[in-house]
This record gives sequence, C-alpha cells and structure tokens, in this order.
Amino acid sequence: MNKVKYLIPSLFLLTNLFFSGCDNPKLKPPRSDSPSTEEKTGQKGEMIDREFARELAREFGKEFAIEFARQMKGAGSFSLSEINGSVEKNSSGGPSGILNDRGEAHPLLAGCSEDVLEFYQKHPDCFSIASTGDIPANLNWQEGTDEKEFSSPDAQKGGTWEVFMRDFPRTLRTIGPDANGAFRSYLLDYNVMSLTHAHPNSDGYYPGLANSWAVGEDGRTVYFKLDPKARYSDGENVKVSDFFFFFYFMRSKHIQAPWYNDFYGKDKFQKVTLYDENTFSITFYKAKPDIVERVSIRAKPEHFYGELDGEFLSKYQWNPEPTTGAYVALPENVDKGKSITLVRQEDWWADQKRFFRYRFNPEKIKVSVVRDYNKAFEIFLKGGVDMFGLAKTEFWYDKLPDDHLLVKNGYLSKVTFFNQTPPPSYALRINSQKAPFDDLNVRIGFHHAMNFDMVLEKIFRGDFVRMNTVADGYGERSHPTLKARDFSVEKALEFFGKAGFTKRGGDGILINDSGDKLSVELLTGYRHFEDVLVVLKEQAKKAGLELKLKVLEPTSAWKAANEKNHQVVFSAFNSFVELFPRFWEPYHSDNAYQESGDSKYQDDSSLKPGLTTKVSTNNFTQTAVRKIDQLINQYREEEDLGRITDMAHQLSQMIHDHAVWVPAWKKPWLRIGHWNWVKFPDDWGPKESRDYEEFQVFWIDQTEKEKILSAMEKGDPVSDKPTIRIYEKYKSE
Amino acid sequence: MFQLNPLTKKKLRRFRSIKRGYWSFLILVFLYLISLAGELLVNKRALVVYYEGDFFFPTYGEQFSGKDFGLGYDYEVDYRELKRKFAKENKENWVLMPMVPYGPYEMDYRLEGSNGFSPPNFERSHFCGTDKTERDVLARLLYGFRIAMTFAMGYLVLTYLIAVAVGSFMGYLGGKSDMLGLRFVEIWANVPFLYMVIILVSVMPGGWGIGWQVSSLLIIMVLFSWTGMTYYIRASVYKEKARDYISAAKVIGAGPFRIVFKHLLPNVVSTLVTFAPFTIAAAISSITALDFLGYGLPPPTPSWGELLKQGVNNLRTAPWIVVSTVSALVFTLTLVTFVGEAIREAFDPKKFSTYE
Repeated sequence: MNKVKYLIPSLFLLTNLFFSGCDNPKLKPPRSDSPSTEEKTGQKGEMIDREFARELAREFGKEFAIEFARQMKGAGSFSLSEINGSVEKNSSGGPSGILNDRGEAHPLLAGCSEDVLEFYQKHPDCFSIASTGDIPANLNWQEGTDEKEFSSPDAQKGGTWEVFMRDFPRTLRTIGPDANGAFRSYLLDYNVMSLTHAHPNSDGYYPGLANSWAVGEDGRTVYFKLDPKARYSDGENVKVSDFFFFFYFMRSKHIQAPWYNDFYGKDKFQKVTLYDENTFSITFYKAKPDIVERVSIRAKPEHFYGELDGEFLSKYQWNPEPTTGAYVALPENVDKGKSITLVRQEDWWADQKRFFRYRFNPEKIKVSVVRDYNKAFEIFLKGGVDMFGLAKTEFWYDKLPDDHLLVKNGYLSKVTFFNQTPPPSYALRINSQKAPFDDLNVRIGFHHAMNFDMVLEKIFRGDFVRMNTVADGYGERSHPTLKARDFSVEKALEFFGKAGFTKRGGDGILINDSGDKLSVELLTGYRHFEDVLVVLKEQAKKAGLELKLKVLEPTSAWKAANEKNHQVVFSAFNSFVELFPRFWEPYHSDNAYQESGDSKYQDDSSLKPGLTTKVSTNNFTQTAVRKIDQLINQYREEEDLGRITDMAHQLSQMIHDHAVWVPAWKKPWLRIGHWNWVKFPDDWGPKESRDYEEFQVFWIDQTEKEKILSAMEKGDPVSDKPTIRIYEKYKSE
Repeated sequence: MFQLNPLTKKKLRRFRSIKRGYWSFLILVFLYLISLAGELLVNKRALVVYYEGDFFFPTYGEQFSGKDFGLGYDYEVDYRELKRKFAKENKENWVLMPMVPYGPYEMDYRLEGSNGFSPPNFERSHFCGTDKTERDVLARLLYGFRIAMTFAMGYLVLTYLIAVAVGSFMGYLGGKSDMLGLRFVEIWANVPFLYMVIILVSVMPGGWGIGWQVSSLLIIMVLFSWTGMTYYIRASVYKEKARDYISAAKVIGAGPFRIVFKHLLPNVVSTLVTFAPFTIAAAISSITALDFLGYGLPPPTPSWGELLKQGVNNLRTAPWIVVSTVSALVFTLTLVTFVGEAIREAFDPKKFSTYE
C-alpha cells in the first residue's frame, strides 16, 4: 500500500517519460510495432492512457493495476473499466475480420481475452479471419496416405517404462528460463503433436493435429484442416484459434524466451488466416522446399492460459499445460527431487490414429533422478532402468562386454542401429580473430597437427568415423567429396613455416623470429572428452604446436566461448533434422562483428580495422569473409532445392578453405543396451532416429518381464546365445 | 634464525625415540626426495645414450630431436624405439633407460589393440598398468605424489605464515584489534571455500603455464583456509604473553617485534609443529578431492585425484588404477598421521610443563 502511495508523485514523471517515448524498455509497450501513427492521431491521449493501464496490468498483474487506478482516480487518467476488461471498442472490424461491425469478436475467437484480442487487432496483417469461400478451390490436399507406418502392429500397451535423468527439472514449463532441460523432451519433444510431422523414413509428412494439408499457389502458404477429434488432456477440443494464440504466446515477452520470440516472429511467420472451425492457413516468408515442416507448429491451449502477464513464469512453474500428446504430467505424480511419472491418457484422442496407434505404448513413464552416470549404469544392470545408451566405448566394450553374464544369459540385448541423421557437430572451432590464428597458414597447419586418426582408432576403437565437412548428414546437401585435412607432421610444419614459425625451441615447440611460441589455448566444457584432448595435445607436440587445455564447467566454457574469448574451442551443436543445413548462424560476418552487412569490408574485401566483436552468437570461429557472406545471403533467399544443394556444396568448400573448423567425428549409429522385455519393431526404429526414445515405437512385454526376472532369480539363462543385434538397413557407407 | 630452547630440543629427542613416527618421517622424506629425482627413475627420456662415439644425457635440459640420432623426424626422440633400433643394428650404440621407461604424459599406444586400461605388465614395464589413454599409472602416481607433496608443503608454509602473522597480531595487541581481527577472521572463515575455488579456477586465464596455474590454485586455497590456525596461535600468544618472562622483557625495554619474534614465537612453535602433519594430510586430501571433482590441477597434469576418478569410474574393468592409487594415498596419509601422532606425543605439554 505504501508502495502505491509512493508511486503517486512519480506518476507525472512516468507519463511524461511515456509521452516522450523514452527508451526505457520497462515502460515501452511490449510490442512496439503497434498501429501506424495516422491511426493514433485524434485519440492519442486516450490510447496511451489505456495502453499504459494495460501495460501496468501486464507488467505487475491485474491486482496491482486496479489498485493503481483506484489511487489515480482523482488525477483522472485512468478508469477502472479499462483494466477490468469491458473496454469500449474503438476500432471497427476492418479488413482483418477479427471484430464485426458491432465491435464484437468473431465467433471463432469467442473465448479470447481482452489482451489477446487487442494483440490480434494490432497486427491485422498477421491475423485475419476469412470465410470458407476464401479457401482456394484448386488446392492439392495431402493426407500422408502414401506414407508407411513406421511402428509395429505387434506392439502391446501397458507396463511402466523406467528411465533416468541426471538432474531434477527446475520447472515443468516447456518454455522460458530453465525449461530447456533434459526432461522437456518427455513433456514436449517426444510427446506433443504438431500439425504434421516429417516422416522419419522418407521425405514426406504424416498427419498430426491436422488431418490434411495443402501448399498454396504462392508456395509459402500452407492450409491445414484440423482433425475434429483433436483434444487436449483436459478434455477441451483443439480449436483453430489456438494457432492464433500460439503466436500471441510465442511473441510475448512474458515467456522470457527471446529465441522463441524471434523464431516465431512476424518476419518469418507472416500471416495466419482462419477460415472455419477446422480450416486455417499459415503464411511463411519464403517458399522453402520444406515449407510444410517449417510451419507445422503445435497448438497452444488458449483456454488454459487465457492471457499472459508478468506472473507467467511463477504461475506455470509446476503447472504443466494440457497436452495433445499421449502422456500427461500430473502434479500428484511429481515427487520433487526424486522422480516424475508421466501417465498415458486413458482415452487419448489419437489412440487409433494412423502413425500413432502402435506408438507411445507403455502405460507410464517413470523418470527418476540419478545424478551419477556410472551409478545409473549399475541401476540399469540391476533392471531398474530399461534402456541405457552405450555409445561410449568403455561401456560397450569393457563394462558390458558381449560375454557379460546378463547378455550371455539372454536377459539383456546389445543393439547397434545405423541411422541417418545430421550428427552433432563435434569440432575444434578456431577463433580466426585471435593471433596467431589470424594467419590462414597457422590455421591450416593446426588442421594438419590434429591427430584425429589416433583418437578414432585408439579412443573410439574405430567405431566412430571422421566428420568431413561443416554439413555432414544432410544427404544430397552434404558435399560429396570434401575430406577433412589429415594428420601430417610434414604438412603442419610446412604451413607453420610459411607463417614464420620455423625453429624449434628447447622444448620442441616452434618459435618465430620474434621469439613467440606457437602455443594456443584449447577451451572446452566437455570433461568427459578430456582423454581425446590429451591425445591431441601430445600428438600436436610432434608438429611443434603446444596446446594448453582448459577444461571448465559446461556453463563457464559456454560463456567464455560466447564472449569470443577463446582461441580454439572444442564443442558441438545439436543439428536439427532438416532438409538443408544452416550457414548463417555460424559463418555469417553479421554474427562475428556488430557492424552490419558489407560495411565491415574494405574495397579489397579485407576487414576494416577496429571492428567491434559481436558476442553471444554461434559464430565461434569469427568467420567474416565477404564472399561467404554474399553466398549465405543468396542461400537464405533461395527457394529452389537444386540451387540450394549447389550452394550448400560451395559453402562447405569455402569454409573448408577458410580453415576455421576442424571436424572431429560422428557416430553413424545408435548403440544401446536394453532389457529383453523391451520389444522393438522389426527394423528397430526409423531411419532418422537420433536416440532410442524419440519415436517411442517400442513396447514393454510384461509376461516376458516376469519370465526374465524369475529366470534371473534362479540363475537360468533364457536364451542359449547372447543377444547382440545389428541393424544395418540404413547404413550409408 | 631463532635458537631452539632446550625444552624444544628435548621434545625433538623424544620424537626420535618414538620409533613408529620417526621411521614414518624418514620414509616420507626419502619418498619425497626420490620423487624429486623422479626423472632419473621414471621417465620416457633415456638416462644415457651412446651414439657414434658420443655420450648424451637427455634426462634434463633441452630435448633431442630424432634427427640427432639418425632418425627421420625432428620432433622428440622416442628413446624406447631408439633402444630397439640400436639393439637391432648391433653396433656400438646403446641406450640406458630408467627403471620405468615412461613419462607421465606419454601414451603408449605402441601395441596393436592397445586401447587404454592395460593391466599391469612386467614385460612392458607397466608395473601398475595403464590408464584410459595408455599412460603409465606408476609414472603418474610418482609425479602426482611430487606435485601433491610440494603443493602441501607450500600450502603449509603459506597458511602458517598468514595464520602466525594474524594470530600473533591479535593475541599480542589484544583489545580492539583483537576484537576486530577476530570478527574479520570469523567472517572470512564463512566464505564457502569450494565455491570460491570453483569460481576462481574458471576465470583463471588458461594461457598461463601449468606452474602458474598450480601456484594460483595454491594461493586461492591458502587465501580461504588460513583462518583455522589463527585461533590457536592467538590463544597461545595470549597465554604466553601473560607469562613473567614477557613482562621481564618488556621491563628491560624490548620492543614488540623483538618480543614477538624472540620470545613469543619460539614458545608458540610447538603448537604449530603439532598441527603441521595434519595440515599436510588435509592439503593432500583436498587437492586430491578437488582434482577428483575436476576443479583442481589443469589436465593433463598427473594427479591422484584424476587417477582416483578414472579408477572409480572403471572400478570393475580397470581395478588396478583404483588399487594402486588408493594404496598410495592410504600409505602416504598413514605415514603423515604417524608422524603427526608422534609429534603430538613428543610435544605434549603435560610431560614437560612445570606448574608453579
């Protein structure tokens, strides 16, 4: 209360600041791209007062704003009604069709709250409502009927799937601070349905929330027809307006997720149009070849959120939104700090839907916290966890060897499944801005001084293969012939020599004429790959290069690299399963320096001196090359897949020549161990599986489980030969 | 150097007569001296090379390149390979290798199918087996011991310097400076040590050499752990200050510095000495623990904590790592504790104090 009193004298200051359009972001409306100035004139004062009131409500919550308005009544700037919602509608329906002539919301938006409606109204070019007749007649509707199901009809429902996570999630939100943890996958990525899904075995799509879809004539608008059965776990139907709301949600500052704000921003997702209860369209900014996948968003339950305000984070911290997926997290199944159990909905709407009916089979998913990886492995061997990733060499060969009793007796299976998916980009990223790496020769010499052959042979025992380009795993789009530079002391010495490092010092490290040692710092956050770096370090000595290892906590390492303070960083990004790779984020000069576009370059295409480094971008190599920039710009504008392919090859080659990225390795397979009561389809999984959980095609055979457990008790084998299986159907080389 | 008073001499004599502690002390000193000369015993460089009529002693100093001995490369010679080559050529040339012909950083991937974690093998002179990247466990143990012991002694000296300075300051001056000093120490002691180490280690520029990094880790650890000893020093100084001989010194006109250094400290020293071995043990354990957690010495510095971590992670598959590391750790800490016990017994005031 005192606080409010205290605020009163400052009101005039506040409003003054507001009128003067100050730059304080706290006072600015969250969406600054509000109506044009002409619209504003005439009712300017009123608009701003009203806006300010609403802004207060958004920022500090409704209660505060009402109290504030009550206090302010004397000053006559606000009226209570403005905040409470029964605002007079001061704009007519307009072309967007959101409001009718009487100022009432369109029936399709019946459940919208004031704030949400206002947001739609403010962006008439983004949100519009048309009639059924406006749907183009000549659309070619797709239903994914030609695609094959990738799950097995033998699947049985039931059982509990036991998994572990390393840390308890800090929230059950799927967006906002702390939401991007490992547990989110179970809530969202593996679970919630999108409008359509990219088929993991082909280039086609299969229906999700939408039963059918069609790409418009312009190539960038996709029409969707919702499945009338689509329902959230709280029983509410999925409505077309939820896809309007999706953008209200994703563009809100209250979710505190700038990446999403930007990703779903209006420069990419230009327009959503509703036609009737089931039909709507989304218009993307470009006619990309994979347009359907790009606009296949998920539904946001408007009835659950209503509208967003400053309390969003705390309100939904442990209150998960209703889901369209099979599994629900209920607050009563959360054992804080220990485990979360997800339960399969009894009457899940997609239970019998094609492509979904034989998936999501276990009745429950119990995700327990096990902080230590080795301990988790021991729990796995005891049967407390059903599956365990065995990609690590020592797990596959030493800790669970083929003659391990559990494998020999047929209780456990060891599976190698060859997949085809863009691998995480493990590489040494050289900061080309920092000496001595501002010299191309040093960079090339560095490439030749890295003995990845020995790493692959000795540490990974020949199971991993060398990554060759910056865009491996994109099928046609990957460069077909480009190879990573090999380890060669002679070549390394040759290039170091060209850069002036010609003599060896007393410790065998090269020095140049001015006495500088060829010594660089290698930063990483991957403590578990320390052995790899140790091998590289020892081998680099042969080429007269000293590597100083700096192994930090993942977050500190990430921060250091983000600030572009590193010389070399060993890191990896997860690649999306996409049709073609991304080059802009890691290699465009706009992500290296703050000066934008071509202004960075001098006439001879060299960089101007004194540029300001841009921090917190993915351009860890500080690549800034005019030709690469130009090609990336074209690449991003291009709509034709053939030309995109050519350009991707060219870009891979140019970045290879620029020598800022030492490719490390990739795994062409998934390797897991699982108890034999977990059953898989005949192919084991789809081609694009990135992990064993992603598509949830397995099931738990409970009779088998009892059988194995009782056999284990007696010590009897259930099979006379060890169960080691290799699936090579999708092996590429 | 202040002279030991007869009482202290008596105490030292008594320490010598406690056989277990005295022998432990000798063994410990012997081991440390050995580790200081580790390059002569465990090293990938040869002790002596006789090549074309010349003697070479590569152990210390600059490295010899392969070309110096007629090999085709100009990076450092692989002396084991050189030895085999000379043996095969059957000329006059010869190489004398140390007992364990491996360095602490060197990966012995020579053998076909050697992928790390080779069990102890006397033929290949891997007496304690190898670790994940085929580095000799014994070599890493020995050099790790050297670093840990040196570290512990540096830690001891520095913490005691600060503790004695602050403790005698508070104890001798008393009054307000004591009150304020003590509050400061209490506050400082409450700074969470581990977090500070983690934070400071992460901002330390890695461009420094390993020596610098180790020293800065030492300084960070000292900065946050000198407080414990100040209480004891302060109390001892307080106690001694009230004795007649101090009053006598004051009456003669001795200044505070003279009193502290000449009269107080020699009498306080017994407190320090009794704590010293336990401080050493604590320092060894904490550097090992920090390494185990990954916040200690930068890789690939040989360290017991790092070995212990590898050992624990591969308990079933490579038990020799954990066995040799834990044995070494237990052995060392037991010796230190024996020494500590003996010192405490020898310096026990009850034996020598005379009460008026």
